[in-house]
Amino acid sequence: MNQYPAFLIIAPLLAACLIASAAWLRRSLCFPIAVLGLGTSFLSSLGVAARVLTDGHFQYRMGGWAPPLGIALEVDYLNAPVLVAVSGAALVSLIATRQIIEREQGPKAPVFYTLMLLAVTGMLGMTATGDAFNLYVLLEISSITGYALTASGDRLAPLASLRYLLLGTIGASFYLLGVGLLYMMTGTLNMADLSHLLPALYGSDAIFAAFLLILCGIWLKAALFPLHAWLPGAYSHASHASACLLAPLMTKVMIYVMLRVMFTVFTPAYVFEQISLEGFVVTLASVAVVAGSLMALAQRNLRRMAVYIVVAEVGYMVGGAWLGNQTAWTGAILHLLNDVLMTLCLFLAIAALAGRMETTDFKNLKGLFSTMPFSMGALVLGAMSIIGVPPACGFFSKWFLLKGAIEAGRFDFLAALLFSSLINVVLFFRLFECALYSGDDHHGPGEHGHIEIHEAPLSLVASLWAAAAGILAVGFYSGSIVNNFIKPALM
Amino acid sequence: MLVHATLDFPGWGDPNAPAHLHVAPEYLEQAYEKTATPNVVTAVLADYRSYDTMFETAVVFSAGLACFFLLRVQSRKKEEEEEEDRYFRHLATDMVIRIRTPSMHVPDSPYLQQLDPYWTPRSLIVRAACRVLTPFIQLFALYVVAHGHHSPGGGFQGGVILGASLILVALSHDLRTSMKMTPEKLMGVLSPAGVLIYAGVGALCVAAGHNFLDYGALAEWLGTAPEAARSLGILFVEVGVAVCVMATMIIIYANLSSAGGHKQGL
Repeated sequence: MNQYPAFLIIAPLLAACLIASAAWLRRSLCFPIAVLGLGTSFLSSLGVAARVLTDGHFQYRMGGWAPPLGIALEVDYLNAPVLVAVSGAALVSLIATRQIIEREQGPKAPVFYTLMLLAVTGMLGMTATGDAFNLYVLLEISSITGYALTASGDRLAPLASLRYLLLGTIGASFYLLGVGLLYMMTGTLNMADLSHLLPALYGSDAIFAAFLLILCGIWLKAALFPLHAWLPGAYSHASHASACLLAPLMTKVMIYVMLRVMFTVFTPAYVFEQISLEGFVVTLASVAVVAGSLMALAQRNLRRMAVYIVVAEVGYMVGGAWLGNQTAWTGAILHLLNDVLMTLCLFLAIAALAGRMETTDFKNLKGLFSTMPFSMGALVLGAMSIIGVPPACGFFSKWFLLKGAIEAGRFDFLAALLFSSLINVVLFFRLFECALYSGDDHHGPGEHGHIEIHEAPLSLVASLWAAAAGILAVGFYSGSIVNNFIKPALM
Repeated sequence: MLVHATLDFPGWGDPNAPAHLHVAPEYLEQAYEKTATPNVVTAVLADYRSYDTMFETAVVFSAGLACFFLLRVQSRKKEEEEEEDRYFRHLATDMVIRIRTPSMHVPDSPYLQQLDPYWTPRSLIVRAACRVLTPFIQLFALYVVAHGHHSPGGGFQGGVILGASLILVALSHDLRTSMKMTPEKLMGVLSPAGVLIYAGVGALCVAAGHNFLDYGALAEWLGTAPEAARSLGILFVEVGVAVCVMATMIIIYANLSSAGGHKQGL
């Protein structure tokens, strides 16, 4: 059906409005409506991806107006898998965190669902749109709802959210300013149209300024070190429900936006030949990877550790995108998809563990393999993927990134990747060591005959395993993902 | 660097600047023919780039929602009321009664008016003036919404004026009075309903077999030419925008001014 791209974005929006109304009239309807909205969105994203496989790139004209007069959604090999990943991850995390939301938010739970759905609408819209200004509008939606979602959490959450708000607004304004400059110089906002009009202006300083402004804005929102200051606080103090939705998706969508700006709006011809920033950016990315890993190593709390892993992963993808060869680009795109799954799995596991203890400090994790075997099992899978152990999906994207770094002759980035993988090994094995030994000195070995299994709620564990199974599935099928989507996207 | 970049900008007010040469002429030349809307700005906003405007409305809605989510205090409402002294004014004599015993029940009576704890005497002139002004402001707001096709205006502006008229009531009287006129529940339903109207019009177009927000699809149902249907479609979505903006303004005002308590306004 031709309307899939519209359903993809409109279903969560309509569902959000219905929930907000239903909240005042019939509360029990709210969660089913939310699942229905995101479910429709996920199915539509599958439909969109199937159509891309058969027809390649296609356009959906909003209001029937041809771009550049109107706004069109452009779906191609690059964003179709991202759409599937985002809508799928959002659905999984909604189902997983229902109990957490109902417990923490009480009467305000429907509002929380509405905010979640609006945030997802914004992310999906940013991924699908072919219009540079429309992207900003959707960025606003997902940002505003993101600030509200991160503000609910522990005592420090509002403060962390305020910082996120200030920095995020600066980032969004930079992007808007860049788009404004582009409009002034070309007279259009449509991405495809911009890429036709820009080559004549490649020498212009204003275009260069626009490119830099847009990049800085995106990097701020994507939390590339040293612009990451908002992320650790916002994602570690927020409610687990918000962290499970935002941490896997928001930074990844911004990385996608960066790729879109580099590949479609400005072409690789401009990014890598006209201006030569790649040396600097790859160095920055290497520093981000190393710094993120080191800061993760310094944490004594599982959740804060995970947050810094996200910071390091952003460095992986930015570095891959700027190495400037096909292999590295393949690695960056594949890593984007993998990272959605890995981060989702990691944060869901943390939410599952946190439901049974006060804080996720390492000292509280003792003996968890026996009391929460299912959650810990999924966490192991997620950790394997983050470290890069085959057959988990993280291995394959890391492999492409490493090969790309060698091809480009950037051994500093190579070293940073290997260093970060080693640190990840240390991080997770330290964690597993804590969790494996009960640390209970009163019992000798063999004395604990019956250890009570005290798992997280079923919906959470099931969703967690769905994410873990996704990690394995994407690992097994990464060859066909690369051949069917990423290679044609880079043609 | 930004200053250096300005050297490349087209001249100030240059009619040959790229921004005026690419899509703008097409809008100016075709907008009236294709949408039957004399105000080109409205046509671009609510038809050509209608998809953007729908999300702008959603931004307004999310802002109101975020405000409600973060500020509204619901659970402590009853305790607070029990802890504090209550003040009532006898309307006929203008005498103020303070009730200290929390358990004492005061029946609803047309002669008694409950006052805010930090009540200050209000100016009769301000109140009377605002009461006279409010209906005219609201009438003007409706005109602005409906006349967006022909003159500057539209849903956002009209909605803001409508919301401001109700906030004026809250300012000149008190929050309790205005919350009686615009109950929280009603506003809470209206704010998403505005976005729902907008997206619903778009979804109707899909149901009629066209693309999302392609108002031309409504021509058959409305019994008009596709151009006129586009014009009417713009009106429908503008109404949605106005409803959403008005309700959201009131939600934001009520929550911000009373720190989520909805008892004591500014």
